[in-house]
Amino acid sequence: MRREPIDPSGLEWSRVSPKYLRVRLIGWLIGSLVWLVLAAVPLVLRLTGVWDSFPPDWMAWGLPALVLVIAVWRGLLLPRQVAAIGYAERDDDLLVRQGVFFQRTLVVPYGRMQYVDVAVGPLERAYGICTLKLHTASPATNALIPGLPAEEGARLREQLSARGEARLAGL
Amino acid sequence: MNNPSDALPAPAGPEEPDAGGQGGDAWHRVHFISPLVRGWIVLVAILYFVGRDWFEGMFSGETRGRGPLPEGVGVLLAAGVLLAVVLVVAAVFLVSWYFTRYQVTAEHVRVHSGVVFRQQRQARLDRVQAIDIVQPFLARIFGLAELKFEVADAGESAVRLAFLKLDDARRLRATILARAAGVSEDPEHPGTIVEAPEREVVAIPPGRVVGAVALSGTTVALVLAAAVIITLGITLDTPIIATSFIPILIGVAGAYWSALNTGYNFRAATSPDGIRMRYGLLDTRSQTVPPGRVQALSIVQPPLWRPKGWYRVTVNVAGYGLSASTEGQARATLLPVGTWDEVLQTLALVLPEPGTPRPVEVFTAGLVGRDDDEGFATTPRRARWLAPFAWRRNGFAVTGTALLLRSGVLWRRLVVVPHERTQSLSLHQGPLARRFGVSDLQLQTTPGPVSARVALADSGTAWDLFHGQAARAAEARRRSGPEQWMKPVPVSAPPAAGPAAGPDDAPGDHPEDARGGAAPGVGGAGTIEPQAVPEAVPEVMPDVPRYVPAPSGSGVDADGRR
Repeated sequence: MRREPIDPSGLEWSRVSPKYLRVRLIGWLIGSLVWLVLAAVPLVLRLTGVWDSFPPDWMAWGLPALVLVIAVWRGLLLPRQVAAIGYAERDDDLLVRQGVFFQRTLVVPYGRMQYVDVAVGPLERAYGICTLKLHTASPATNALIPGLPAEEGARLREQLSARGEARLAGL
Repeated sequence: MNNPSDALPAPAGPEEPDAGGQGGDAWHRVHFISPLVRGWIVLVAILYFVGRDWFEGMFSGETRGRGPLPEGVGVLLAAGVLLAVVLVVAAVFLVSWYFTRYQVTAEHVRVHSGVVFRQQRQARLDRVQAIDIVQPFLARIFGLAELKFEVADAGESAVRLAFLKLDDARRLRATILARAAGVSEDPEHPGTIVEAPEREVVAIPPGRVVGAVALSGTTVALVLAAAVIITLGITLDTPIIATSFIPILIGVAGAYWSALNTGYNFRAATSPDGIRMRYGLLDTRSQTVPPGRVQALSIVQPPLWRPKGWYRVTVNVAGYGLSASTEGQARATLLPVGTWDEVLQTLALVLPEPGTPRPVEVFTAGLVGRDDDEGFATTPRRARWLAPFAWRRNGFAVTGTALLLRSGVLWRRLVVVPHERTQSLSLHQGPLARRFGVSDLQLQTTPGPVSARVALADSGTAWDLFHGQAARAAEARRRSGPEQWMKPVPVSAPPAAGPAAGPDDAPGDHPEDARGGAAPGVGGAGTIEPQAVPEAVPEVMPDVPRYVPAPSGSGVDADGRR
């Protein structure tokens, strides 16, 4: 499968930090465990005999199995999803791409930028990365770049602000 | 009550940061009656409940020998309690009225409100996205109007002044618009700003509004419901099921009424201050959208309207936001039901420069055309099974000034986004679309009813558009008019033909004497003001923009009028 069919040729994508994959994997692990525990509740109740007949055996076993399969699938996909996130600064606009199966590429002209957010969660802080979000006058503009190294995030924020200032274009 | 500066309950100190024209900077309160008009619903509710109890009590009292009041409660006491409640309600509204003051300076409009929790709000005039004057029915009786000042936060109105005398509201709107437009006031005659003249371009006859309502989806739903209920009643032999028709009828009547109330007497006019719209049966509303404030526009034709050749035009304006209410939808409607000529006329107001030598043909192709008429790029043939009916309609075209997105076979739809208004652009592609080499294209605009999206465009073509759109937007932005639309600019419409004066404080510039010369159409309360006479102010009233069919057509004279 081609890596980036909807992307243009001759464009240098900046990739996000590999540490972001670790953050995502930790999040994935925790989330999967929580779901697995929840899905295993009927099975445990059945095995301990608290519920005697209601969920049939196939359902009691099938539910956690299904959750496990989905979790493994998502886990296998994660590295490729993280690798698919990219951004490119051009002279007049910023491009952001994401997605493996359902791909999206977004272009935001600098002059359209209303403000820039840089957010850091506890896990992200431990790994020294941050999430940058660009806001335009449209709430539908979902320009999110996760997993930037902290200094790269700060540089990008300043850079975007400066370029937005230079190309200020109102609404 | 106009200048209560000595009786003010200690405002936030003598803060007058920008001493603009001192004449209009006084603090004002809204009209004295407004607490009554705003509180009338509360009062009516109280009177209704009390009155109903009393009324019911009268009848039961005769039969049971019991008075309208609980035992041991005198009539005087009951009346006293009622009076006290009414007085408290009135007092609350009165106090709120007393503490709400507004001021319009050369650059800002400020509103101070609140008693316990004070609020001081200040909005820049040049950030205005739209100004509405609303007259709910009760306010119309008193000759009052509410003024709404919208900025681009897509939420509630930045400034709502309820209620002012209609003339005051109009004058205030004219002042705000003139200052926002960058028209400088005549120093010798301050306060002489009157409304800019206007020229009516579209007036919808009431018959067509009724027809449009009758041909709406509501009617289809009504007919379907009737068919289902009658069928059920006959097959199950239970005529009682017909009573379930009553709530449906009530809902349908409500839908009909709101469509009629908001579409009735619709008029659109052009003026130097932008597009003016007026409509309403009982509640009337007058909207002004300054030039360049329309972010996106869509023309839709529901299938039932096709035989009549009617269309609806809705817009995204940053200040209006996305609202599901009838009122919100009506505000975002530029033309509730219009013929193709009227649609083109409306389009010409929004987009005076279509950016193509064949505007009529291009827009017609956008609405009724298919395949690649007039340069539309459609879904490639290889992907036709992804959209077996719509693939010949899905498409987009780029003119010099706008992006046109076409879709829909039954619900025909054309979305027009001026290049300088595109916020961002995204391409989406799923696994199936990738196999066929197509992608979806979405333009993000400010919140509103118009969603600019074209499905299943050829990936290469879509990418070309994607790649060039930022450059086109930047170029369009450079060419577009200034935020303060009456400021003299080198290349512009006739009103700015005066000497290119300094940007901020040029006294006695050209456009304002033309404004001063126009007679304001001051009608009685609630009437539609008479149309300004265009001949009286030829220099400020630009020609109504109008699209001209391509030269191949006959019957076009030298200046482009048919």
